[in-house]
Amino acid sequence: METSNFHEDMDGLVQQIGINFDHIWQKTLTVLNPMKPADGSIMNETDLTGPMVFCLAFGATLLLAGKVQFGYIYGISVLGCLAMHTLLNLMSVTGVSCGCVASVLGYCLLPMIILSGCAVLFSLQGVIGIPLALIVIGWCSLSASKMFISTLAMEGQQLLVAYPCALLYGIFALLTVF
Amino acid sequence: ASSSAVIDMENMDDTSGSSFEDMGEMHQQLKEEDDVGEEPVPTEEDDGAFLGVKGLKGQLGRDVADQVWQAGKRQASKAFNLYGNIDILRPYFDVEPIQVRNRLMESLIPVQMINFPQKVAGELYGPLMLVFTLVAILLHGMKTSGTVIREGTLMGTAIGTCFGYWLGVSSFVYFLGYLCNAQITMLQMLSLLGYGLFGPCIVLLVTYNVHLHSLFYLLWFIIGGLSTLRMVAVMLSRTIGQTQRLAICGVLAALHMVFLLYLHFAYHRIVEGILDTLEGPNAGPVRFPRDIAELSITLLNSTVKSIGASLQMR
Repeated sequence: METSNFHEDMDGLVQQIGINFDHIWQKTLTVLNPMKPADGSIMNETDLTGPMVFCLAFGATLLLAGKVQFGYIYGISVLGCLAMHTLLNLMSVTGVSCGCVASVLGYCLLPMIILSGCAVLFSLQGVIGIPLALIVIGWCSLSASKMFISTLAMEGQQLLVAYPCALLYGIFALLTVF
Repeated sequence: ASSSAVIDMENMDDTSGSSFEDMGEMHQQLKEEDDVGEEPVPTEEDDGAFLGVKGLKGQLGRDVADQVWQAGKRQASKAFNLYGNIDILRPYFDVEPIQVRNRLMESLIPVQMINFPQKVAGELYGPLMLVFTLVAILLHGMKTSGTVIREGTLMGTAIGTCFGYWLGVSSFVYFLGYLCNAQITMLQMLSLLGYGLFGPCIVLLVTYNVHLHSLFYLLWFIIGGLSTLRMVAVMLSRTIGQTQRLAICGVLAALHMVFLLYLHFAYHRIVEGILDTLEGPNAGPVRFPRDIAELSITLLNSTVKSIGASLQMR
């Protein structure tokens, strides 16, 4: 009885601070499977728990490869979020909040963690590393653009949204590879 | 004489009503109409003690400071609403992917008809993305060549160079066009020069990965030349007078071609092959942009000696 009460209390506490594990898992699966359609109602949430965990994981995997880049990750993330927020508000009829942009961009950083994990095992400055980096950049930008167009109803402009996302994730890839 | 009721808008002079200032003024007028009844009414407080013992620190000082603050705040909000409202830029980002693709292709095709003004796309998405692409290519080139920036960061240098060129040269050529009475707006100049960066992006993307100077010169001449010719042809079609045309097009062509040369030689390795063999204490000088280190005979000799020593060890 006491254990079930404890779990119920913990679930209530988690809900009160705005963490929805089901939505976090749905977003993570949407990123990992680029062919999975994105649910616009879930993607429009301002959830920064997952993105913060992913950013820390990205920094940690870079640390394992001998690179202390937490400051660069923070700076590039902030500037990238602001730039994408401005661009999407200019391109879309319905606006988007900065938190939503940060949430989507943070979730789509997950494949970059896989790339930085590979950098721990072997050097990416070679025949295998560059194509792998390009694939991961495409994966991240495809997932991010899919989420953005589902939220902003911008069908037909996915390429226009994907390209600036690709440039942003390309900067992260440069951090990882070099 | 016959007159037609149909107006050909294809090559209509589109220099009016599309500038940032026009859009900003329109928004400002709409804003002022809404704010007519919202002027703050100055309230009269008890002035009995305003010339009190404390002087400026008393009520008079507080009133003056408050009025100065309110006046400054009103001026700042007016300026922000006029120039900082991003809604004035919204029409310039309303594009389709197929339009961007066509404009990218057209940026390498010089127009032949210069007798009437050629249409310039009033759009900022493509040029902005091309500038960011050039930043990314520069960063990639600097990382692969081990370039070290003494004062600043790689990102800051790349962004400053690319945006500085785009905004600075656009402003300068627009100013020249204003002096020479060219029919082009600032937005069109930004768009024209932005799309003109497509050629340099291709050249640098290839030559930062394939290290051949002859290939660079060939691509610089062909692809850089085509994008320059495109911009020059558009400016020729929008300028009247031989001297004016020569001035604007000469400056634009020179700046565009020299910029590509600068990007290649300032942000990438200039010595291929030799640096690859240097390791450890025999490593050559670190590559600094705009600080070209001259290779000396002693460096070459030490390189040859180190290669010979490594071969003997095997």
